[in-house]
Amino acid sequence: MNPVWISQIASVMRLELKKSFFARRGLWIYLLAIGPAFLYLIHAIDVTRDHEHRQAMLKSHPVDTLVLRAIRPGTSEEELTADLGEPYQKFEYRRGRRAAGPQEVTINRYTDGESDFTFTVVDGFVRGINEQDRCNVTKDSAIFATVFQFFYLRLAVFFGCVGIFSNLFRGEMLDKSLHFYLLAPMRREILLAGKYLAGLSAAAVIFTAGTALQIAALSWHFEPGQVAAYMHGSGWHDIASYLGVTALACVGYGSIFVATGLLFRNPILPATAVMLWEAANPFLPAALKKVSVIFYLQSLCPTVAAPESDTPALLRLLISTAEAPPAWLAILGLFALTALVLAAASLRARRLEINYGTE
Amino acid sequence: MTSANGGRVTFDNVSRFYGEVLGVNRVTLSIPPGITSLVGPNGSGKTTLMNLMSGLVHPTRGQIRVLDISPNDPERLCRVLGYSTQFDSFPRGLTGHQLVSSFLRLFGYDDDACNRLAGAAIERLRMTEATDRKVAAYSKGMRQRIKLAMAIAHDPQVLVLDEPLNGLDPLVRAETIALFRELAAQGRHVIVSSHVLHEVDQISDQVILLSNGYVVAEGKIQGVRGEIQEHPMQVLIRSSRCSALASKLFEFDHVVEARLVEAGSAVLIKTRDADRFYRALNHLALNGIDIEGVAPADDTVNSVYEYLIGEEGSR
Repeated sequence: MNPVWISQIASVMRLELKKSFFARRGLWIYLLAIGPAFLYLIHAIDVTRDHEHRQAMLKSHPVDTLVLRAIRPGTSEEELTADLGEPYQKFEYRRGRRAAGPQEVTINRYTDGESDFTFTVVDGFVRGINEQDRCNVTKDSAIFATVFQFFYLRLAVFFGCVGIFSNLFRGEMLDKSLHFYLLAPMRREILLAGKYLAGLSAAAVIFTAGTALQIAALSWHFEPGQVAAYMHGSGWHDIASYLGVTALACVGYGSIFVATGLLFRNPILPATAVMLWEAANPFLPAALKKVSVIFYLQSLCPTVAAPESDTPALLRLLISTAEAPPAWLAILGLFALTALVLAAASLRARRLEINYGTE
Repeated sequence: MTSANGGRVTFDNVSRFYGEVLGVNRVTLSIPPGITSLVGPNGSGKTTLMNLMSGLVHPTRGQIRVLDISPNDPERLCRVLGYSTQFDSFPRGLTGHQLVSSFLRLFGYDDDACNRLAGAAIERLRMTEATDRKVAAYSKGMRQRIKLAMAIAHDPQVLVLDEPLNGLDPLVRAETIALFRELAAQGRHVIVSSHVLHEVDQISDQVILLSNGYVVAEGKIQGVRGEIQEHPMQVLIRSSRCSALASKLFEFDHVVEARLVEAGSAVLIKTRDADRFYRALNHLALNGIDIEGVAPADDTVNSVYEYLIGEEGSR
């Protein structure tokens, strides 16, 4: 590559990085990136307090896990109290208006310090048993996978990239400052490359940092031993995958939105169209599925967030269950898609002209 | 130089429309080196013409060459062309020096060259004291000068300057005009747009008059004036015998008006044939009529513009 081009790309990046990171109109992008981490932090605080509460209840109402698990429906209330002692929390109420008279219902709550056991006693006999586990790594991994794929990638990173990349050219047109670049002896493709790389650097840093913060916030409430065990297993691979997928999302969505920023005045219209296209991915024929960023990203996620059987039809519209290609092919496919979009954008960039008056 | 037009800026039947709105239409020009002024009221197409030659907008039809380079080739064009636009927006947060050196860095120069060239350009515009201040805090005049510094920093052969004297105080204005003259004297193209007609008169080697997107006249101002037949030429003659001179001149059929002005110390003549008038004036001088001074009274851009375009343009 021509050394002047490299120097020009570096110069464009130098100017654009500052703008991409510190644009006043881009503050909401940081909120999108760190928003989920805040939610996980609140969750972690809640789980920690809940655990402390259970430990305190266990001390005042000690009970053995095995004995708790041995209780079966049909056990009488007297036997329950004889085996487990007094519950740490008890509710009593009457329900129904039957001919035989209303039912006497008692809710008895016990804990072994880790899980909560709720025994529903109706007319003196245990009728329902509910064990609520404390959060564990497997459970939280599944939650993270779902939030990551359905919220973070499809909404936060997606709209963050709309904000960063659409503004690379459009923002300058609005600020009436694009001529600064267009008057330099620089190929428009080089300008596009410099701006794209600057946007990509900013987006990748902001959103991978967001992913890292989410993982840190989510694992904060686990015992060090649990975290170490997870890391010993698939932990590092999962974390690297999520960070990589986030960066690749910026690569893919960034190329699309830098192109739409060159083609359209209003970024919302193309963004909506792309979002609908991405959402429709599961319903597209195999060949068309590959013309989508989410298709490649989902194949690279370590945990597949499959739809639950009772997921409402409307929500299912957002869920891609595309057949996953191997990781190397997914990465290659995403880069090929990105290159194709950037090539199309560079054709548009060659005809780029300032038209401040009509903005 | 690669062709006969290699040293010129040429427009060949160039039109530019913004949707249904006309920018410029069927412009054919060949601009030689020197100071050329684009003159016209708002919306006459001056800025469009400048944007076209600098590649910021593309023609709807026709062809433009700047020293034989197409504006579609910014990699070559912007090395020979510097453009001080009318837009005051710059990348944010930069000082004057950073702005110019950042711009030069886009040319591929190394840091040392950028700093040296930026420093020289800023010095040339007498902006050294403000070089480390943020551009956002600059006054209108300082912004104008820093834009000029950006335009000249890479030593271009063609300078395109959109209203470059706007906002400058009289001293700086005079210095800037001197700079334009110096650059033009070095054989460069200095293409200036202006509303201020007496300034155009002062600085231009040639003018291009624009109205509603059309070029209505181009060339040296006296030449353009001579082409306008329907308005008699006005000549101011100073003499100690103004009354006698006026009556003698009025005998010629090409003189349509002879009026005493300036408290009788001068005669303002209107003639339909300048050549015959000057021959007649020589004859009178040789026959003893004392002539202290002769000066054309309406071969200014202002007059020409008024004749060609009307009141609106010369305001």
